[in-house]
Amino acid sequence: MIYDIAVLGGGPAGMAAAAEAAQRGARVVLLEESAAPGGQVYRAPPAGFTVPPDADSRAGDALRATLRQSGAEVRTGCRVWGVGGGPLVPMDTQAAPFRLDALAPDGQSFAVQARALVLCAGTHERIIAFPGWTLPGVLGLAAATILLKAHGMLPGRRVVVAGAGPLLYAVAAKLLKAGAEVPAVVDLAHSREWARALPALAVRPDLLARGLLWRAQMLARGVRVVSGARIAAAAGGEALERVLVGDTWIDCDALCIGHGLVPATEATRAFRAAHRYAAEAGGWVPVLDGDQRCSVPFLYAAGDGAGVRGAAAAPASGRLAVLAALHDLGMLPDHAGARAAPARDFARAAKAGGAMARMMALRPALVQAIPPETIVCRCEGVTRAEIEAACADGAADMNQMKQFTRCGMGPCQGRLCGETAAELVAMHCGGRERAGFATGRLPLRPVAMDALLGDFDYADIPVPNAAPI
Amino acid sequence: MFDVAVIGAGVMGCSTALFLARAGMKVVLLDRGAICREASGVNAGTLTMQMTRAALIPYALRAHEMWLRMPEWCDGGHVLATGCPGLSVAFTEHEAAMLEERAHFRRQAGAPIELVTPARAREIEPGLSDRVIAAGHCPIDGFTSAYLTGRAFRPALLNAGVELRENCGVHGIKPGFAVETAAGVVQAKRIVLAGGVWLQDMAAWLGVTLPIKVLVNQLVVTERMPQVMRTVLGVASGLLSLKQYANGSVLIGGGWQGIGDRARGGLAVKPESFLGNVRLAAHTVPALRDARVVRAWLGLEAETADALPAIGPIPGIDDAWIIGSVHSGYTSGPYLGKLLAQAICGEAPELPLFPIDRLLAQEKAA
Amino acid sequence: MDVIAKPDRMKDVAHPIRIAGISRPADVAFSFEGRSLLAPEGENLAAALIAAGIRRLGEGQDAARPRAALCMMGVCQQCLLRVDGRLAQACLTPIYAGMVVTAA
Repeated sequence: MIYDIAVLGGGPAGMAAAAEAAQRGARVVLLEESAAPGGQVYRAPPAGFTVPPDADSRAGDALRATLRQSGAEVRTGCRVWGVGGGPLVPMDTQAAPFRLDALAPDGQSFAVQARALVLCAGTHERIIAFPGWTLPGVLGLAAATILLKAHGMLPGRRVVVAGAGPLLYAVAAKLLKAGAEVPAVVDLAHSREWARALPALAVRPDLLARGLLWRAQMLARGVRVVSGARIAAAAGGEALERVLVGDTWIDCDALCIGHGLVPATEATRAFRAAHRYAAEAGGWVPVLDGDQRCSVPFLYAAGDGAGVRGAAAAPASGRLAVLAALHDLGMLPDHAGARAAPARDFARAAKAGGAMARMMALRPALVQAIPPETIVCRCEGVTRAEIEAACADGAADMNQMKQFTRCGMGPCQGRLCGETAAELVAMHCGGRERAGFATGRLPLRPVAMDALLGDFDYADIPVPNAAPI
Repeated sequence: MFDVAVIGAGVMGCSTALFLARAGMKVVLLDRGAICREASGVNAGTLTMQMTRAALIPYALRAHEMWLRMPEWCDGGHVLATGCPGLSVAFTEHEAAMLEERAHFRRQAGAPIELVTPARAREIEPGLSDRVIAAGHCPIDGFTSAYLTGRAFRPALLNAGVELRENCGVHGIKPGFAVETAAGVVQAKRIVLAGGVWLQDMAAWLGVTLPIKVLVNQLVVTERMPQVMRTVLGVASGLLSLKQYANGSVLIGGGWQGIGDRARGGLAVKPESFLGNVRLAAHTVPALRDARVVRAWLGLEAETADALPAIGPIPGIDDAWIIGSVHSGYTSGPYLGKLLAQAICGEAPELPLFPIDRLLAQEKAA
Repeated sequence: MDVIAKPDRMKDVAHPIRIAGISRPADVAFSFEGRSLLAPEGENLAAALIAAGIRRLGEGQDAARPRAALCMMGVCQQCLLRVDGRLAQACLTPIYAGMVVTAA
């Protein structure tokens, strides 16, 4: 069977997209890697866990309920490793239905086909390398929110929170409330950057109020907030023991650090969609029209994966994408009428989200501060010095740098090192646009051979004809 | 005015340019992209005799030696070339017969291939499946890290005085020769077309019709894993190449076809090719079941009508030369470039070239 | 050079790392590198190991060692382990009774 619409990723954008499609009578399937839809901000606790509700969990529960009631087919626990079809067909062949290859929770392979594909792949965290960042106990800021909110776990007992953006204060407040000690919040932004962001936040008084509350909690608990500062180094033996801020070593057993969010464009890159570099939206993003259409027909991107605008803006962008898809499939007569409300919601929420995204944009000074011997690519052990040596040897874009160094060839597929490496290449070749991005490759995530292979007989392997002797 | 303009900075173009420059010529090497970024940088790096066409064995044997000693002739540049034994295996009687026939032809051409029992094969390669019923063993085999090829050639090219112009696409050639690029016209007394699958378009600039078929070869690599093998493995049909690098990653190739073409490059892995290729690999080395696949990609290989190379002068156009369409061309590449450089310099090449008159005559007849 | 230190508090094992006020399923037994551990059924494996004070998830020579939880969302591959013999990312794996976890 061929679905009308497949939605990849069950965060707020994907949940809203799938629900909208189902409500309008489309045959839709949503594929999600986690055990339950929700995404990172609205991540559901594990089955059997009951977590006291907060604003985010209520928003997530509402989206989950709408999705459930819509009757959309939802397949969770699925690792989607392959994307194909659409424009990825032999020359002079008509565009095919899109195809997603995946492993089900039981390890079985399956594929779904759809006439339109809505990518809601979300983001991953940007962590710019620094000395000691490979020590156990150093973890992401987004990772900390997942640990705290979904798993009810402290990342440590004495936790330094560092990086950029509103997550800093959200994490610090949550840590304090849950009983951890927070010796310092180390914010890359100066106070004046927060002041500049305030007008955009005024459209979301709820967020503003929450932010003020968090800040008040910091002050009340005597948390040291260091503005315009970075973690210069982390140190420890078996695991993290202290971090360096300016001239001060701060003892801690966990460091939660994040330098912003990077849209996950693996799938749009694999489809060879057009991309543009937009630092204020998190980096490389697919080129979209006002209805989330990519440059590839019947391919759409929504949510933070299409450019960071925050979880609050994501559902509206998911709905816009699906409405455009339905229109393009000839299934929605009054597109203009249907899109008006989500378009308005998106514009409003994206204003506040955009202000936050700008604060989380990559800060080149962080990359410039990396010492030469610091490992940038953890999977392959590639240092800053090695990347720069490759640039000096003529690597003038990300693909050639990857070839010359192996940086980005490991199992994280460049997600962890990509931003740092790209900035280093950009410093040599004249900017991120020139540095480009590594070509999108499958599998989208490492995939266990055992599960892929299944049981087979040798006779069933369709070995092609032998090459000539 | 350059003595030679070499168009295409893959392994063929780099090697030709290097040896021309060392012979005293003033050489410009042009590529529309970066050095060795197409097939030369993304192939499986296999240095095997057992996938090489019999007619190319003498060339591949000499090139094998060149790859292993690359730092000596390439100013220290290297591709982590590793020599090891190679096995080509059979799982069925039909494959065993094919193996025997092919080993015979390759042995006649000079490859020291002997047929061995399954037990002997498993001594040579303990990782091998017990379902193998016969194997061809060649002590001369090995592999490189092909992604290092551009980095390996670049300093030597510059040291030899080659003017390397990357990201400098050529869109036409006028007699004389005036090589038209986006960055202006480059004048050269001689030209060498070394454009891989794009040789067909390049020949057309000169009014020459030379059909080149495009193979879209798929490659798959695993995450690092404990050692599961220590040789280069293939199957009788040639549809598998398998090796484990020093870092633990296992590269799976063999020429399974993906989706792509000359205009768009390697576009997409075909799921059925992907699955077939990794199943064949795991059937050959069962421990691969425990691996995770981390990446798959595609590289374009050129093939002439008779699947033999196009290397030599371009008939009817003085001082125009061509090199490419060599089956398993990476394996033989550095040696073939050296041979062509000898011919361009007016010397008798150590081994015969593969002139394209035969292909043009065939095209005319058709 | 300044030092902001609270070493005593860090060794305060009584301070719970599992946040109070959350209702969790009953504990089940599992093992990590031969060590017997307890965690609520369905709890995330990476989180459960943090709760058990286990930060180093795999030793070795290659660049990706020691392994440790880093992104908690399935992206970074740093928490790769073997669960009942199969490679699995700890941050995507729920705990079940009798689970045998070893380094990858």
